[in-house]
Amino acid sequence: MVGLSRIDGPARFGADLRRRLGRRGRVELYFAFDDPNSAVAVIDLAERLVDFDVLLILDPVVNRGIPDDPAVEEKRRFAITDARRLFKRAGLTLRRNEPIRPEHTAFLAEWAASSLPGPALTKFCVAAMRQLWLVGDDEIDPALYADLWHEAFGDDPPPAGAGADAVRANERRMARRGPYDTPAVWVHGQWSFAHDRLPRIADRLDELGWRFEP
Amino acid sequence: MEVRALSGAKIEYFFSFRSPYSYLSGPRAFALPERFAVEIEFRGVIPMAMRGQSVPRAKALNTLRDVDREARRLGMPFGRIHDPLGDGAMRCLLVSELAKDEGLEPAFVLAASRAIWAEAVDVSTDDGLRPVCERAGLSWNGCRDALQDPSMRERVDANTAALADLGQWGVPVFRFGEEIFWGQDRIEDLETVLREAGLST
Repeated sequence: MVGLSRIDGPARFGADLRRRLGRRGRVELYFAFDDPNSAVAVIDLAERLVDFDVLLILDPVVNRGIPDDPAVEEKRRFAITDARRLFKRAGLTLRRNEPIRPEHTAFLAEWAASSLPGPALTKFCVAAMRQLWLVGDDEIDPALYADLWHEAFGDDPPPAGAGADAVRANERRMARRGPYDTPAVWVHGQWSFAHDRLPRIADRLDELGWRFEP
Repeated sequence: MEVRALSGAKIEYFFSFRSPYSYLSGPRAFALPERFAVEIEFRGVIPMAMRGQSVPRAKALNTLRDVDREARRLGMPFGRIHDPLGDGAMRCLLVSELAKDEGLEPAFVLAASRAIWAEAVDVSTDDGLRPVCERAGLSWNGCRDALQDPSMRERVDANTAALADLGQWGVPVFRFGEEIFWGQDRIEDLETVLREAGLST
Protein backbone atom coordinates (compact mmCIF):
# COMPACT_ATOMS: atom_id res chain seq x y z
CA MET A 1 0.00 0.00 0.00
CA VAL A 2 2.75 2.43 0.95
CA GLY A 3 4.67 1.46 -2.19
CA LEU A 4 1.62 2.00 -4.37
CA SER A 5 1.01 5.40 -2.84
CA ARG A 6 4.44 6.50 -4.01
CA ILE A 7 3.58 5.96 -7.68
CA ASP A 8 3.11 9.49 -8.92
CA GLY A 9 3.73 9.17 -12.63
CA PRO A 10 0.06 9.11 -13.68
CA ALA A 11 -0.68 12.29 -11.69
CA ARG A 12 2.27 14.08 -13.26
CA PHE A 13 1.32 12.86 -16.74
CA GLY A 14 -2.28 13.94 -16.18
CA ALA A 15 -1.25 17.40 -15.04
CA ASP A 16 1.01 17.82 -18.03
CA LEU A 17 -1.73 16.65 -20.38
CA ARG A 18 -4.21 19.10 -18.89
CA ARG A 19 -1.79 21.95 -19.50
CA ARG A 20 -1.20 20.86 -23.10
CA LEU A 21 -4.95 20.88 -23.63
CA GLY A 22 -5.14 24.39 -22.20
CA ARG A 23 -7.02 23.26 -19.11
CA ARG A 24 -6.44 24.39 -15.57
CA GLY A 25 -5.40 22.30 -12.59
CA ARG A 26 -8.00 21.15 -10.09
CA VAL A 27 -8.17 21.32 -6.33
CA GLU A 28 -11.33 19.75 -4.93
CA LEU A 29 -12.32 20.59 -1.38
CA TYR A 30 -15.08 18.76 0.43
CA PHE A 31 -16.07 20.94 3.34
CA ALA A 32 -18.86 21.68 5.81
CA PHE A 33 -20.02 25.09 6.93
CA ASP A 34 -20.53 23.82 10.49
CA ASP A 35 -16.91 22.63 10.68
CA PRO A 36 -14.43 25.25 11.93
CA ASN A 37 -11.51 23.38 10.37
CA SER A 38 -13.32 23.65 7.04
CA ALA A 39 -13.42 27.38 7.64
CA VAL A 40 -9.65 27.33 8.10
CA ALA A 41 -9.25 25.47 4.82
CA VAL A 42 -11.68 27.50 2.72
CA ILE A 43 -10.31 30.86 3.84
CA ASP A 44 -6.69 29.78 3.46
CA LEU A 45 -7.01 28.02 0.10
CA ALA A 46 -8.95 30.85 -1.48
CA GLU A 47 -5.93 33.06 -0.80
CA ARG A 48 -3.14 30.51 -1.25
CA LEU A 49 -4.30 29.32 -4.67
CA VAL A 50 -4.27 32.72 -6.36
CA ASP A 51 -0.63 32.03 -7.29
CA PHE A 52 -1.61 28.90 -9.19
CA ASP A 53 -3.43 28.19 -12.45
CA VAL A 54 -5.95 25.95 -10.74
CA LEU A 55 -9.69 25.88 -10.24
CA LEU A 56 -10.80 25.55 -6.62
CA ILE A 57 -13.84 23.31 -6.61
CA LEU A 58 -15.81 23.76 -3.41
CA ASP A 59 -18.08 20.81 -2.66
CA PRO A 60 -20.16 21.37 0.48
CA VAL A 61 -21.46 18.45 2.51
CA VAL A 62 -23.53 18.15 5.67
CA ASN A 63 -23.48 14.46 6.64
CA ARG A 64 -20.03 12.94 7.03
CA GLY A 65 -17.78 11.19 9.54
CA ILE A 66 -17.22 7.62 10.67
CA PRO A 67 -20.57 5.79 10.96
CA ASP A 68 -21.64 5.33 14.61
CA ASP A 69 -18.54 7.16 15.81
CA PRO A 70 -18.87 7.32 19.62
CA ALA A 71 -16.56 10.32 19.79
CA VAL A 72 -18.43 12.55 17.35
CA GLU A 73 -19.49 15.13 19.94
CA GLU A 74 -16.03 15.26 21.50
CA LYS A 75 -14.51 15.72 18.05
CA ARG A 76 -16.96 18.49 17.21
CA ARG A 77 -16.07 20.30 20.42
CA PHE A 78 -12.33 19.75 20.10
CA ALA A 79 -12.45 21.08 16.53
CA ILE A 80 -13.20 24.51 18.02
CA THR A 81 -10.00 24.40 20.09
CA ASP A 82 -7.97 23.08 17.18
CA ALA A 83 -9.30 25.58 14.66
CA ARG A 84 -8.65 28.43 17.10
CA ARG A 85 -4.98 27.51 17.08
CA LEU A 86 -4.87 27.14 13.29
CA PHE A 87 -6.51 30.53 12.81
CA LYS A 88 -4.03 31.97 15.29
CA ARG A 89 -1.18 30.78 13.06
CA ALA A 90 -2.73 32.95 10.33
CA GLY A 91 -3.23 35.92 12.67
CA LEU A 92 -7.00 35.42 12.84
CA THR A 93 -9.26 34.95 15.84
CA LEU A 94 -12.05 32.40 16.02
CA ARG A 95 -15.01 33.94 17.80
CA ARG A 96 -17.19 30.96 18.60
CA ASN A 97 -16.83 28.79 21.68
CA GLU A 98 -19.58 26.32 20.93
CA PRO A 99 -20.03 23.98 17.95
CA ILE A 100 -22.60 24.75 15.29
CA ARG A 101 -25.18 22.05 14.65
CA PRO A 102 -24.93 20.77 11.05
CA GLU A 103 -28.61 21.37 10.41
CA HIS A 104 -28.22 25.06 11.25
CA THR A 105 -25.94 25.65 8.27
CA ALA A 106 -27.42 23.08 5.90
CA PHE A 107 -29.07 25.88 3.92
CA LEU A 108 -25.64 27.33 3.16
CA ALA A 109 -24.45 23.97 1.84
CA GLU A 110 -27.54 23.74 -0.36
CA TRP A 111 -26.99 27.21 -1.76
CA ALA A 112 -23.32 26.56 -2.47
CA ALA A 113 -23.92 23.11 -3.94
CA SER A 114 -26.39 24.54 -6.43
CA SER A 115 -23.78 26.85 -7.96
CA LEU A 116 -20.95 26.10 -10.37
CA PRO A 117 -17.39 26.51 -9.07
CA GLY A 118 -15.70 29.80 -9.76
CA PRO A 119 -14.77 33.14 -8.24
CA ALA A 120 -18.32 34.03 -7.17
CA LEU A 121 -18.81 30.78 -5.27
CA THR A 122 -15.40 31.05 -3.66
CA LYS A 123 -16.14 34.65 -2.66
CA PHE A 124 -19.42 33.61 -1.07
CA CYS A 125 -17.97 30.64 0.79
CA VAL A 126 -15.11 32.71 2.19
CA ALA A 127 -17.48 35.48 3.26
CA ALA A 128 -19.90 33.02 4.86
CA MET A 129 -17.13 31.18 6.71
CA ARG A 130 -15.73 34.47 7.98
CA GLN A 131 -19.17 35.53 9.16
CA LEU A 132 -19.85 32.18 10.81
CA TRP A 133 -16.55 31.71 12.59
CA LEU A 134 -14.58 34.96 12.71
CA VAL A 135 -17.27 37.61 13.13
CA GLY A 136 -20.38 36.33 14.82
CA ASP A 137 -21.02 34.02 17.70
CA ASP A 138 -24.77 34.49 17.70
CA GLU A 139 -27.75 32.86 16.04
CA ILE A 140 -27.34 32.17 12.34
CA ASP A 141 -29.61 34.54 10.44
CA PRO A 142 -30.22 33.39 6.84
CA ALA A 143 -30.98 36.96 5.77
CA LEU A 144 -27.42 38.00 6.60
CA TYR A 145 -26.06 35.21 4.42
CA ALA A 146 -28.49 36.08 1.63
CA ASP A 147 -26.83 39.51 1.59
CA LEU A 148 -23.43 37.84 1.26
CA TRP A 149 -24.76 35.72 -1.58
CA HIS A 150 -26.08 38.81 -3.31
CA GLU A 151 -22.70 40.53 -2.96
CA ALA A 152 -20.97 37.54 -4.55
CA PHE A 153 -23.45 36.61 -7.28
CA GLY A 154 -25.46 39.80 -7.79
CA ASP A 155 -28.61 37.74 -7.36
CA ASP A 156 -30.82 36.16 -4.73
CA PRO A 157 -29.82 32.78 -3.30
CA PRO A 158 -31.52 29.64 -4.62
CA PRO A 159 -34.89 28.73 -3.14
CA ALA A 160 -34.99 26.48 -0.09
CA GLY A 161 -34.28 22.86 -0.89
CA ALA A 162 -33.03 23.55 -4.40
CA GLY A 163 -29.53 22.29 -3.68
CA ALA A 164 -30.37 19.41 -1.32
CA ASP A 165 -29.85 16.74 -3.98
CA ALA A 166 -26.53 18.29 -4.96
CA VAL A 167 -25.36 18.16 -1.33
CA ARG A 168 -26.31 14.49 -1.10
CA ALA A 169 -24.43 13.85 -4.35
CA ASN A 170 -21.35 15.54 -2.89
CA GLU A 171 -21.61 13.37 0.23
CA ARG A 172 -21.88 10.20 -1.84
CA ARG A 173 -18.97 11.21 -4.06
CA MET A 174 -16.77 12.03 -1.08
CA ALA A 175 -17.53 8.68 0.56
CA ARG A 176 -16.99 6.79 -2.70
CA ARG A 177 -13.61 8.38 -3.25
CA GLY A 178 -12.29 7.63 0.23
CA PRO A 179 -12.36 10.62 2.59
CA TYR A 180 -14.73 10.19 5.48
CA ASP A 181 -14.61 13.62 7.06
CA THR A 182 -14.06 17.28 6.30
CA PRO A 183 -12.17 19.25 5.21
CA ALA A 184 -10.85 16.78 2.65
CA VAL A 185 -8.84 18.05 -0.28
CA TRP A 186 -7.92 16.24 -3.49
CA VAL A 187 -4.95 17.55 -5.42
CA HIS A 188 -4.19 15.53 -8.53
CA GLY A 189 -4.14 12.04 -7.07
CA GLN A 190 -3.53 12.87 -3.42
CA TRP A 191 -6.06 13.19 -0.61
CA SER A 192 -5.33 15.11 2.59
CA PHE A 193 -7.14 16.65 5.47
CA ALA A 194 -6.87 20.18 4.12
CA HIS A 195 -6.47 22.09 7.38
CA ASP A 196 -3.56 19.82 8.37
CA ARG A 197 -1.67 20.10 5.10
CA LEU A 198 -2.18 23.61 3.72
CA PRO A 199 1.48 24.38 2.90
CA ARG A 200 1.85 20.93 1.37
CA ILE A 201 -1.03 21.60 -1.02
CA ALA A 202 0.98 24.46 -2.48
CA ASP A 203 4.08 22.24 -2.57
CA ARG A 204 2.11 19.61 -4.47
CA LEU A 205 0.91 22.15 -7.02
CA ASP A 206 4.48 23.35 -7.42
CA GLU A 207 5.65 19.77 -8.01
CA LEU A 208 3.07 19.43 -10.76
CA GLY A 209 3.96 22.77 -12.34
CA TRP A 210 0.76 24.67 -11.71
CA ARG A 211 2.26 27.89 -10.36
CA PHE A 212 1.76 30.90 -12.61
CA GLU A 213 4.95 31.91 -14.40
CA PRO A 214 6.46 35.04 -12.83
CA MET B 1 18.23 20.46 33.60
CA GLU B 2 18.32 22.83 36.54
CA VAL B 3 15.87 25.26 34.92
CA ARG B 4 13.58 22.35 34.06
CA ALA B 5 13.54 21.17 37.64
CA LEU B 6 12.76 24.66 38.87
CA SER B 7 9.87 25.18 36.45
CA GLY B 8 8.12 21.95 37.35
CA ALA B 9 6.31 22.14 34.04
CA LYS B 10 5.19 18.83 32.63
CA ILE B 11 3.76 17.60 29.35
CA GLU B 12 1.81 14.38 29.36
CA TYR B 13 2.48 12.58 26.08
CA PHE B 14 -0.14 9.97 25.14
CA PHE B 15 1.23 7.54 22.58
CA SER B 16 0.22 4.32 20.85
CA PHE B 17 2.70 1.94 19.29
CA ARG B 18 0.06 1.12 16.67
CA SER B 19 -0.30 4.75 15.62
CA PRO B 20 2.03 5.81 12.80
CA TYR B 21 1.36 9.44 13.71
CA SER B 22 2.65 8.65 17.20
CA TYR B 23 5.78 7.28 15.56
CA LEU B 24 6.20 10.50 13.59
CA SER B 25 5.79 12.59 16.73
CA GLY B 26 8.38 10.74 18.81
CA PRO B 27 11.67 12.46 17.95
CA ARG B 28 10.17 15.95 18.21
CA ALA B 29 8.25 15.19 21.39
CA PHE B 30 11.21 13.79 23.25
CA ALA B 31 13.36 16.70 22.04
CA LEU B 32 11.09 19.32 23.62
CA PRO B 33 13.04 19.37 26.93
CA GLU B 34 16.12 20.38 24.94
CA ARG B 35 14.48 23.70 24.08
CA PHE B 36 11.92 24.20 26.84
CA ALA B 37 11.97 23.89 30.61
CA VAL B 38 9.54 20.99 30.65
CA GLU B 39 9.51 17.34 31.49
CA ILE B 40 7.85 14.80 29.22
CA GLU B 41 5.72 12.21 30.95
CA PHE B 42 5.29 9.35 28.49
CA ARG B 43 1.93 7.62 28.71
CA GLY B 44 1.54 4.65 26.42
CA VAL B 45 -2.07 3.73 25.62
CA ILE B 46 -3.80 0.67 24.23
CA PRO B 47 -4.56 1.02 20.48
CA MET B 48 -8.05 2.15 19.45
CA ALA B 49 -8.68 -1.12 17.64
CA MET B 50 -8.01 -2.98 20.92
CA ARG B 51 -10.39 -0.66 22.77
CA GLY B 52 -13.40 -1.68 20.69
CA GLN B 53 -13.21 1.34 18.39
CA SER B 54 -13.36 0.45 14.72
CA VAL B 55 -11.03 2.01 12.19
CA PRO B 56 -12.62 2.15 8.72
CA ARG B 57 -10.53 0.79 5.86
CA ALA B 58 -10.68 4.13 4.06
CA LYS B 59 -9.24 5.83 7.12
CA ALA B 60 -6.45 3.27 7.41
CA LEU B 61 -5.46 3.66 3.74
CA ASN B 62 -5.55 7.45 3.81
CA THR B 63 -3.52 7.41 7.00
CA LEU B 64 -0.75 5.27 5.53
CA ARG B 65 -0.50 7.44 2.42
CA ASP B 66 -0.44 10.62 4.47
CA VAL B 67 2.10 9.27 6.96
CA ASP B 68 4.37 8.23 4.11
CA ARG B 69 4.38 11.77 2.76
CA GLU B 70 4.85 13.26 6.22
CA ALA B 71 7.68 10.86 7.01
CA ARG B 72 9.53 11.92 3.89
CA ARG B 73 9.00 15.57 4.80
CA LEU B 74 10.40 14.91 8.29
CA GLY B 75 13.26 12.78 6.99
CA MET B 76 12.08 9.70 8.87
CA PRO B 77 12.16 6.15 7.52
CA PHE B 78 8.72 4.60 6.97
CA GLY B 79 7.05 1.87 5.01
CA ARG B 80 8.43 -1.50 6.07
CA ILE B 81 5.64 -2.21 8.53
CA HIS B 82 4.71 -5.06 10.83
CA ASP B 83 1.32 -4.31 12.36
CA PRO B 84 1.73 -4.67 16.14
CA LEU B 85 -1.99 -5.00 16.82
CA GLY B 86 -2.51 -7.32 19.77
CA ASP B 87 0.46 -8.82 21.57
CA GLY B 88 3.04 -6.67 19.82
CA ALA B 89 1.51 -3.39 20.95
CA MET B 90 0.85 -4.67 24.47
CA ARG B 91 4.38 -6.00 24.93
CA CYS B 92 5.82 -2.65 23.85
CA LEU B 93 3.51 -0.87 26.28
CA LEU B 94 4.59 -3.08 29.18
CA VAL B 95 8.28 -2.66 28.40
CA SER B 96 7.82 1.09 28.02
CA GLU B 97 6.62 1.23 31.63
CA LEU B 98 9.82 -0.50 32.72
CA ALA B 99 11.78 1.90 30.52
CA LYS B 100 10.13 4.83 32.33
CA ASP B 101 11.33 3.45 35.65
CA GLU B 102 14.86 3.33 34.27
CA GLY B 103 14.72 6.71 32.53
CA LEU B 104 15.09 5.03 29.17
CA GLU B 105 11.64 5.59 27.69
CA PRO B 106 12.77 7.96 24.93
CA ALA B 107 15.30 5.45 23.69
CA PHE B 108 12.90 2.52 23.90
CA VAL B 109 9.87 4.25 22.43
CA LEU B 110 11.85 5.62 19.50
CA ALA B 111 13.54 2.29 18.86
CA ALA B 112 10.36 0.23 19.14
CA SER B 113 8.22 2.51 17.00
CA ARG B 114 10.92 2.68 14.35
CA ALA B 115 11.16 -1.11 14.40
CA ILE B 116 7.41 -1.41 13.87
CA TRP B 117 6.93 1.29 11.21
CA ALA B 118 10.21 1.28 9.32
CA GLU B 119 11.90 -2.06 9.87
CA ALA B 120 8.97 -4.54 9.85
CA VAL B 121 10.06 -6.07 13.14
CA ASP B 122 7.54 -8.44 14.72
CA VAL B 123 7.64 -7.19 18.31
CA SER B 124 5.12 -9.82 19.38
CA THR B 125 8.00 -12.33 19.37
CA ASP B 126 10.99 -12.44 21.69
CA ASP B 127 13.28 -12.60 18.68
CA GLY B 128 11.81 -9.32 17.45
CA LEU B 129 11.49 -7.45 20.71
CA ARG B 130 14.72 -8.40 22.44
CA PRO B 131 17.10 -6.54 20.08
CA VAL B 132 14.86 -3.48 20.28
CA CYS B 133 15.01 -3.51 24.09
CA GLU B 134 18.76 -4.03 24.14
CA ARG B 135 19.27 -1.28 21.56
CA ALA B 136 17.52 1.04 24.02
CA GLY B 137 19.80 -0.03 26.87
CA LEU B 138 17.33 -2.29 28.67
CA SER B 139 18.29 -5.72 29.96
CA TRP B 140 16.25 -8.52 28.42
CA ASN B 141 15.81 -10.23 31.78
CA GLY B 142 14.20 -7.10 33.18
CA CYS B 143 11.98 -6.79 30.12
CA ARG B 144 10.84 -10.40 30.45
CA ASP B 145 9.87 -9.74 34.04
CA ALA B 146 7.96 -6.60 33.02
CA LEU B 147 5.98 -8.58 30.44
CA GLN B 148 4.65 -10.76 33.29
CA ASP B 149 4.21 -7.98 35.85
CA PRO B 150 0.53 -7.15 36.52
CA SER B 151 1.47 -3.74 37.92
CA MET B 152 2.83 -2.74 34.52
CA ARG B 153 -0.47 -3.67 32.90
CA GLU B 154 -2.28 -1.61 35.53
CA ARG B 155 -0.18 1.38 34.60
CA VAL B 156 -0.99 0.94 30.91
CA ASP B 157 -4.69 0.69 31.73
CA ALA B 158 -4.43 3.85 33.82
CA ASN B 159 -2.80 5.69 30.93
CA THR B 160 -5.56 4.58 28.59
CA ALA B 161 -8.24 5.63 31.05
CA ALA B 162 -6.56 9.00 31.51
CA LEU B 163 -6.75 9.64 27.76
CA ALA B 164 -10.45 8.84 27.77
CA ASP B 165 -10.97 11.09 30.79
CA LEU B 166 -9.55 13.94 28.73
CA GLY B 167 -12.31 13.33 26.18
CA GLN B 168 -9.72 12.30 23.63
CA TRP B 169 -9.97 9.37 21.22
CA GLY B 170 -6.82 9.39 19.09
CA VAL B 171 -3.11 9.82 19.53
CA PRO B 172 -0.64 11.33 19.84
CA VAL B 173 -2.06 13.71 22.41
CA PHE B 174 -0.10 16.23 24.43
CA ARG B 175 -1.46 17.72 27.62
CA PHE B 176 0.12 20.84 29.05
CA GLY B 177 -1.87 22.21 31.98
CA GLU B 178 -5.43 22.54 30.75
CA GLU B 179 -4.44 22.61 27.09
CA ILE B 180 -4.80 19.53 24.91
CA PHE B 181 -3.05 19.10 21.57
CA TRP B 182 -3.97 16.25 19.26
CA GLY B 183 -1.74 15.28 16.38
CA GLN B 184 1.90 15.16 15.40
CA ASP B 185 1.28 18.28 13.33
CA ARG B 186 0.19 20.27 16.37
CA ILE B 187 3.56 20.17 18.13
CA GLU B 188 4.27 23.63 16.72
CA ASP B 189 1.15 24.93 18.48
CA LEU B 190 2.31 23.31 21.71
CA GLU B 191 5.67 25.01 21.26
CA THR B 192 3.88 28.35 20.82
CA VAL B 193 2.10 27.85 24.13
CA LEU B 194 5.35 26.85 25.84
CA ARG B 195 7.05 29.99 24.51
CA GLU B 196 4.14 32.14 25.68
CA ALA B 197 4.43 30.50 29.10
CA GLY B 198 8.04 31.68 29.27
CA LEU B 199 9.47 28.18 29.20
CA SER B 200 12.00 28.65 26.39
CA THR B 201 15.51 27.81 27.52
